[in-house]
Amino acid sequence: MVKRRVAVMSPQTRLAHARQSRWAGRRPAVTWQRPQLDPAAAERAVIFYHRQRSRAITALVLLFALLFGLPLVLAALPGLDTVRLFGIPLSWLMLAVLPYPAMVVLARWQLHRAEAVERLPKRAETVEWVRPGRAEVDR
Amino acid sequence: MGAARARGGRPVIAVLAVLPVVLATVLIGVRGVVAMRSSSDFLVASRRVSPLLNSAAVSGEYLSAASFLGVAGLVVKDGIGALWYPVGFTAGYIAMLVLVAAPMRRSGALTVPDFAEARLASSALRKLSAVVVLVIGFLYLVPQFRTAGLVLSVVSGAPYWVGVVLSGVVVSTTLALGGMRAATYVQAFQFCLKLVLFIVPAIWLLTAVGPAARHEAVNPVPYTVFERDTPVDFRVGALLNVPTDIALTDGTVLPAGEQTIAPGTRMVFPAGAQVPQVDGKRPPGGPEWQRPLLDLQGAGHAVLGTLAVLIATMLGTMGLPHVIVRFHTSPDGRSARRTAAMTVALLGAFYLFPGVYGVLGRVAVPQLYLSGTTDTVVVALPGAVDTGPAGTLFTALLTAGAFAACFATSLGLLLVVAGALSHDLAPGTLRQLRVTVFGAAGVVVLLALPAIGLDAGVLVTWGFTVAASTFCPLLVLGIWWSRLTRTGALAGVVVGLVASSAAIAVTLFAPPVGGWPAILVAQPAPWSVPLAFLTMVAVSLRGQPPAWSTAAMLRLHLPIR
Repeated sequence: MVKRRVAVMSPQTRLAHARQSRWAGRRPAVTWQRPQLDPAAAERAVIFYHRQRSRAITALVLLFALLFGLPLVLAALPGLDTVRLFGIPLSWLMLAVLPYPAMVVLARWQLHRAEAVERLPKRAETVEWVRPGRAEVDR
Repeated sequence: MGAARARGGRPVIAVLAVLPVVLATVLIGVRGVVAMRSSSDFLVASRRVSPLLNSAAVSGEYLSAASFLGVAGLVVKDGIGALWYPVGFTAGYIAMLVLVAAPMRRSGALTVPDFAEARLASSALRKLSAVVVLVIGFLYLVPQFRTAGLVLSVVSGAPYWVGVVLSGVVVSTTLALGGMRAATYVQAFQFCLKLVLFIVPAIWLLTAVGPAARHEAVNPVPYTVFERDTPVDFRVGALLNVPTDIALTDGTVLPAGEQTIAPGTRMVFPAGAQVPQVDGKRPPGGPEWQRPLLDLQGAGHAVLGTLAVLIATMLGTMGLPHVIVRFHTSPDGRSARRTAAMTVALLGAFYLFPGVYGVLGRVAVPQLYLSGTTDTVVVALPGAVDTGPAGTLFTALLTAGAFAACFATSLGLLLVVAGALSHDLAPGTLRQLRVTVFGAAGVVVLLALPAIGLDAGVLVTWGFTVAASTFCPLLVLGIWWSRLTRTGALAGVVVGLVASSAAIAVTLFAPPVGGWPAILVAQPAPWSVPLAFLTMVAVSLRGQPPAWSTAAMLRLHLPIR
């Protein structure tokens, strides 16, 4: 966490202020600055993008399977209403309790994977720079 | 349990419960003024908030009247299946964590309209997004103020408008004084407050109701006969289907047949009388009520109804403008992502309990379903279970929690509404932002006054539906698809906004539809969200994205060290 107090203003806010003064009568040229990435950063960003995207898809598939699968299971197995755990219908517990720990586990898992991606390329770059041949040998 | 108990004569409870919450809210707001200088301070607390504090604030903001009161009320009214709402509310943060949290934070934009302009450089899209923020904001704010009014009238007997106006004044004053900096601390504090005020009374209730009621709670029978003399306050008008003539305790007779009950009527039904049926609703406790699926509109398509609500709540969360703005108070993308993950756990802990209130409420205060005010079940329970000081104490605690819920959510919502008006639609100064806050609060109060009959859970879910049909595709495609064009984004947001609001308008004002179309009209997310996505993709593919489009997207995926 950054302790120092930083004044932050997004490019959009600056734009908004510029627009306001334009309405007030003056007409400074409002130029929208096109986003720029130097080639090295762009290359890194592409790697991050692809890795995060594939992990995101897996996590979403799991989330949808959990959430959309559970109603189907409950609809297909009405017998779960009569099975009781501590006197409470099992189907009630599967709806009122089960999804929450499952979602916490899924969230933690995805968080770690997403953060691992952001640590990876540093190491990958080092490997490539120091021992370019090693990766090929391993493969 | 007490027989007919006098209602409407306990303003002491209200004062004891509401005053501390009001004072704490305003005091923390005032404290936040000390270090506030710029518009950025006001909106996002200068971005210095840690993940844990921020996730508590996110949860505090998110646990609105709909979660604190609405879910339990829907359980009494619609059945166990209503517990799908909180599952969707929580799942939204996983979708957020996976898809938008970090990239959205890295975009550097302050609000969704900001993001729209940063990614696509379209000021038309910025204005359109601001309009969507207003629609979502009002759909979400009205039930907060409405529930505050309803709760206050139940516990103290004050007229409905008192609570509505009170919330408007407290929330707008706090915000105008403190801004987002205040809101962060207020909401983190209020999350802890709400968690304690929700869980402790639930545990007390479980022990206080006794073994017979506990058994009845998990072995429900349809509510067809009044077990004791039962007073019912019809704050909202109702259409009752009376099976046989009922001699009320005051000597008048409620004749058999369809009866329209005027708002403000109070009736005491005698023990042993048959419970009238509410127009178009099944009595709580029946076999349909017990199924863990959500049969929207009684249409008989429970799986479709359940999925419709899940899609709306899960995908709507990532588009809620007041939640997204919270992620901008994190210092970087990584802590924004951590905030989302922690929020899943904090919400999960809270949402284990609405079901407890729901099943106990069906046993102790099922008559609320007659008057259509099941939203008050949480605050009505302690008094019905224990007429002594313990019941009074817990009524006061739960009322305090309910007000905390209304205030915390309203703070964040009013902030984004004011932000959309004076930051995006008509850019202005900090002073103008403060004036806007009061104006917006006034409009919400006026809208909430006639809305007493609308369930908080349903109204809030419509807010989610609009968010899911507009901002969800905009954010997901904006972050993950470089081919998105301005025209495509504009078209998609317009289509999603029109489709979802038209369906809501039809549900509110048009004659009811039957069968599965009823579900798709009452809860349009299953078709309006894909429609918005498809429109965005199709229109984008017909055009050509600008050369910098790829850079604008990739930038969002680059962590800054």
